[in-house]
Amino acid sequence: MIRWSALGIAAFAALAIGVLVGPAHLPPGTVWHAVLGRGDDVTVAIVRDLRIPRAVLAFSVGGSLAVTGAVLQALVRNPLADPYLLGLSGGAGLGAVGAIALGLSGTWALPAAAAFGALGAIILVYRLAIVAGAVLDTRILLLGGVVVSAFTSAIVGAIMALSPAEQLRNALLWLLGGFDGASWLTLTVFAAYAVFPLALLYRASRQLDLLSLGEEPAAYLGADVEPLKRLLYVMASVLTAAAVAVSGIIGFVGLVVPHAIRMLWGHTHRALLPAAFLLGGSLLAGADALARTVFAPLTLPVGVVTAVIGVPVFAVLVRRWAS
Amino acid sequence: MEQRAIRRFNLRIREVGRVFCSRPTSVTALGVLALACAGSVPERGAPHERVVSLAPSITELLFSVGAGSAVVGRTRWASDPPEALAVPSVGDGLNPNVEAVAARRPDLVILYDSPANAGPAAQLRQLGIETAVFRMDRLDDVARGARLFGALIGVSDVAEEVAARFSAALDSARRVPRPTDRPRVLILAWDQPPIVIGAGSFQSELLDLAGAENVFADLAGPSGQVTIEIIAERNPDFVLLTGGVSDPSWGSRPEWQAVPAVRQRRFVIVDGSEFSYPSLRALTAVRRLRQALAEARE
Repeated sequence: MIRWSALGIAAFAALAIGVLVGPAHLPPGTVWHAVLGRGDDVTVAIVRDLRIPRAVLAFSVGGSLAVTGAVLQALVRNPLADPYLLGLSGGAGLGAVGAIALGLSGTWALPAAAAFGALGAIILVYRLAIVAGAVLDTRILLLGGVVVSAFTSAIVGAIMALSPAEQLRNALLWLLGGFDGASWLTLTVFAAYAVFPLALLYRASRQLDLLSLGEEPAAYLGADVEPLKRLLYVMASVLTAAAVAVSGIIGFVGLVVPHAIRMLWGHTHRALLPAAFLLGGSLLAGADALARTVFAPLTLPVGVVTAVIGVPVFAVLVRRWAS
Repeated sequence: MEQRAIRRFNLRIREVGRVFCSRPTSVTALGVLALACAGSVPERGAPHERVVSLAPSITELLFSVGAGSAVVGRTRWASDPPEALAVPSVGDGLNPNVEAVAARRPDLVILYDSPANAGPAAQLRQLGIETAVFRMDRLDDVARGARLFGALIGVSDVAEEVAARFSAALDSARRVPRPTDRPRVLILAWDQPPIVIGAGSFQSELLDLAGAENVFADLAGPSGQVTIEIIAERNPDFVLLTGGVSDPSWGSRPEWQAVPAVRQRRFVIVDGSEFSYPSLRALTAVRRLRQALAEARE
């Protein structure tokens, strides 16, 4: 109970900081008035249309990435699994760079192309891992992800070598990840894609416990292993593709948060998944607030901040857990 | 400064001559080399005759100081003056293809001063080709470059005249008192993530000379990544767009509506390479910019 309260407080604090803090110097009172719609137009727009959706989006994406990481680690039974392991980041990169190289412009060209590329990579890896017509082999899933990533980064390298440098550099900046595109619209789009997979994954948490024992023991204990693996894979992929579309590729959260929660909480997925969502969300929302404030008016890539905060904390956790 | 650089080149030229000419492999080769060395090891201050220019700004300036006929290679991005397009392209200017550059048989390669070019410059020197690096980021670099290139190619008289005329025009433009109601302008280089132009870029200088104020003049560097929030807070009167973002369709995205100038489409769009790098056409660029701003304010 104490742990849940602590997580709840962390989540609330991260969201509050995300709304209160920013490169524009607004005192807390002004922010509060702006939340209620009072004050000058620009201030109200900064708080209501930029800060609030940005903080909530960062929280939702962080939470979703952490849940996806936890699920994939159980699915492939590999502690190094993270949301981008299965070829997703490579596919997204290829989509984004390809869109720039083909001169596709327009409001949604880049995120749509990245999500499209990610889904293409997922389908390819999935096809590779389906053996003998029916069985999803998680070892091949892992290898297929690595192979597809290598292939897509080779193609990205070729496009970069042959196309105008400046535009591609900027496309890669976008891929580095961040919440500059956050708005109520992107938040709605993300929520539309994320709520259903999150609910299904939570419903499967008992079966995830069984699966993390191994496929055969899980089958003996009554899990319907093959459909379960496919469900997990597809839902995790949809979640990650949606995250890529709204925020590029943000590493670290999906890899480390599930491990941190396992060390603090144990391995039961019914607790692990919601706890990972809260911690992942808090970490990313807090990191984003720091990223846009510390060197204001300049901003840092949010992935840099998550790693700078997260790595030392994680190192301490690992040491304590090992002893 | 330039004089010192030139002396360094000449020293290097003599060194190269010594290395190259001290290793004859046969009697015939000795004869050929003797001839070649007599021609290719210039005396102190002797001009270069075959120059590969690895930046569009450098190419344009070489043509402007009357050294165009010595240019035997350019990057694929060079577009001005039109005569430059007749020169064979050697590909990219940053991290260039050394073999393609060497194939033009240059006696001098001028590269943009960047870490990406340090390796290729060293390789070219190993091949016995002189290199010079030059960074053209600010308007004052134009006259400096004109004088340096003039000395390297042996057209110092023309170059000196061009440089002096440009510096004088620039000085008098700088002395013109700024209007009191200067429009506050954001120069946007990229929309997602938002990258803006700071005081360290010549584009900021152009804007200042055109009688406007860069809202990110507090950024010392040429550019920086910022948030839409800080752009909204600084609330520019206009958004100046050149190059990559000159198609303003990004302005319809919801998050950008927090910036009034974007919401109301107060865009000033200018195209042309005079806005891409510093050149002798800078004052023409200033006039065009001033006119575009005046039209936008009406």
